[in-house]
Amino acid sequence: MRIELNHVVPYPLPKEVIQSSDVWDTKLCFKPNSANLVSAQSGMGKSTLLHLLYGMRKDFSGNLSIDGKDSSTLSREDWINIRKTSISLLFQDLRLFPHLTALENINLIPVANPNAPVVEEMADQLGITAFLHQSVVTLSHGQRQRVALVRALRKPFQLLLLDEPFSHLDEVNQSKASSLIKGLVQINGASLILSTLGSVPEIPFDQTYSL
Amino acid sequence: MKDTFSNSKLGSCLVSRGPRRELFIASFGCFIGTTLLLLAIQIYQDATIYLENNEGPKNYFTINKKIEGGALLNLAKKEESFDKQELDTIRQLTGVKRIGGFVRNKFPITLYIWPSGKIGFGAAAKTDLFFESIPDEFLDFIPKEWEWEENASIVPIMVPKFYLDLWNFGLAPSRVEYPALSTDAAKGMPIEIFIGKNKETTLNGRFVAFSKRINSVLVPESFLNWANQKFAQPDSRDFYFLWKEGTIDGPPRSRSDLSKLQTLPDFKSWEISPLGNPASRSSISSLLQKQDSDNEPSRIILEIADTPSPALLEYIDRNEYELNREFPDQDLIKKALQGIFAGVIGIGILLSLLSIATFATSFKLVVSQSSEHVKNLLLLGFSPGQISQIFYKRFQKLFIYIISGSFVVCLLSKYFLGQTAIEFGINIESNLSEYTVVFTVLYSIVFLIVNKTNISNSVLKLDK
Repeated sequence: MRIELNHVVPYPLPKEVIQSSDVWDTKLCFKPNSANLVSAQSGMGKSTLLHLLYGMRKDFSGNLSIDGKDSSTLSREDWINIRKTSISLLFQDLRLFPHLTALENINLIPVANPNAPVVEEMADQLGITAFLHQSVVTLSHGQRQRVALVRALRKPFQLLLLDEPFSHLDEVNQSKASSLIKGLVQINGASLILSTLGSVPEIPFDQTYSL
Repeated sequence: MKDTFSNSKLGSCLVSRGPRRELFIASFGCFIGTTLLLLAIQIYQDATIYLENNEGPKNYFTINKKIEGGALLNLAKKEESFDKQELDTIRQLTGVKRIGGFVRNKFPITLYIWPSGKIGFGAAAKTDLFFESIPDEFLDFIPKEWEWEENASIVPIMVPKFYLDLWNFGLAPSRVEYPALSTDAAKGMPIEIFIGKNKETTLNGRFVAFSKRINSVLVPESFLNWANQKFAQPDSRDFYFLWKEGTIDGPPRSRSDLSKLQTLPDFKSWEISPLGNPASRSSISSLLQKQDSDNEPSRIILEIADTPSPALLEYIDRNEYELNREFPDQDLIKKALQGIFAGVIGIGILLSLLSIATFATSFKLVVSQSSEHVKNLLLLGFSPGQISQIFYKRFQKLFIYIISGSFVVCLLSKYFLGQTAIEFGINIESNLSEYTVVFTVLYSIVFLIVNKTNISNSVLKLDK
């Protein structure tokens, strides 16, 4: 999936942030099958960028196009379809349903990615098999982060957006998660945009941007 | 790609304890409103059918000339019958389909009615009465016993249905010797018909039918013609003073006596005057040339296309005739019922509209209480339609309980009303009519569509 940003500036961002950014108010292209790292400190607009790309925010100037199509011309139905089949987002705040178990949360997606391994395999790889039938409110933030990651990977995608996916993971688990992500992005022939506070995961990135 | 979620899991994300009080009020209002509406519609239909089956036909009227004067003036009263010219004029008025004249008896009649079923057994109801006849085509129906021939053993009599009601609800309760009578029992009562001032002749009669159309005591035309011919007594109007050369000659003479004088010389120069007005003299030959007024009806029945036309009403008014529509009270009852049911239907509609509004507000609240989860599900790629469906099914379930409850209450009410009606001698269908069922379906469709739209809009508002 090809994403192009043409002088995109989200409204609430301060001027000094925009001036020093590799992304805001510039011409930028996230190419198909590319892995992109967006690195910045807190408050520089990492989540804002991913939310713009996921159609959650429309309060920006400039142009954003997805596969050559101006995002401002996309209808509600287009966005529903994109979220259902083309773009998957791991939210920074995870957005899990607290009354459901880890497995129920993972399964609560409109359609499953046919290229993704079965849930048990991914859970095993991330070391959360033992918690699958546990309510997510009983899990630690790191465990929940891995549950949300499996859910994001279970959705079909051509673009995978991960918002600080390893913020609460230790190095071992970061490594396991990176391996799973790398494999699935490859199998899907998809692009990846991963935001981080600074640490660089074990994924070979084609481009690194500083916000 | 295959679906991975189960609807129950999706639904569980959208469960909220809900605004229970509002939902209860909406459900209760909807139940009461729907029940009232269905009952009103059903009972209105039953009442209309009952009244239509029991009301006098709308398009039959009788007219007569206004009766004037009292006992002392009767001798001078105006002509009460309609002559041929008048009948022709009425026949040609707009809206008049056909007319028929009432012929009445010209002899005294006294009836002895034996409610016991046997002459001479128990007490007889005795009454001086009159008979009238009209052409058979104006009867509501022609009973099979209506035929009458000379020497027939029974004279068939048809009286208005309300005579029987008067008997049952007026006379019978106040007189222990008179039992209340069903239609069949009334038809079985032997009746003695005494003819003449001194009851010179006795005939046997029987009630054979109870008319809802004609407000009179009817016998077959053939019988009345025969009886009038045989028993008619000239009345005071048939007697005249005979004037010869300016002075009254002898006692008053009947028309038939006068006609016997036609062969005498000077007959054409003689004059006559009515008994009540001796000064109003006219030629004797003009009296005899005039069509015999015995054959002219004093009351006529009209069948008209619908309600009386302005031309007919204007003619009646101009000639100061009296118009009687049979059983006009039925109209008042119907109008009163229409008013009551319009009121009940109005209240039902109002309650239903209020409940639709309360449901709409309640489900907006239900959706907004789950708004966080709705937004997350939308971000996961679920469509607003899928999510609305969850809320809508919950509403649908509630509504099915309500509409089923209303339907059952209507059925039960109808059953008990039917049972009560039977005690009053009214038979009504025990089931709900097809119109009520169709209305229920249409009403449900409207209710469901309105709330589905409302729920969809509430969910779409969260997808921004």
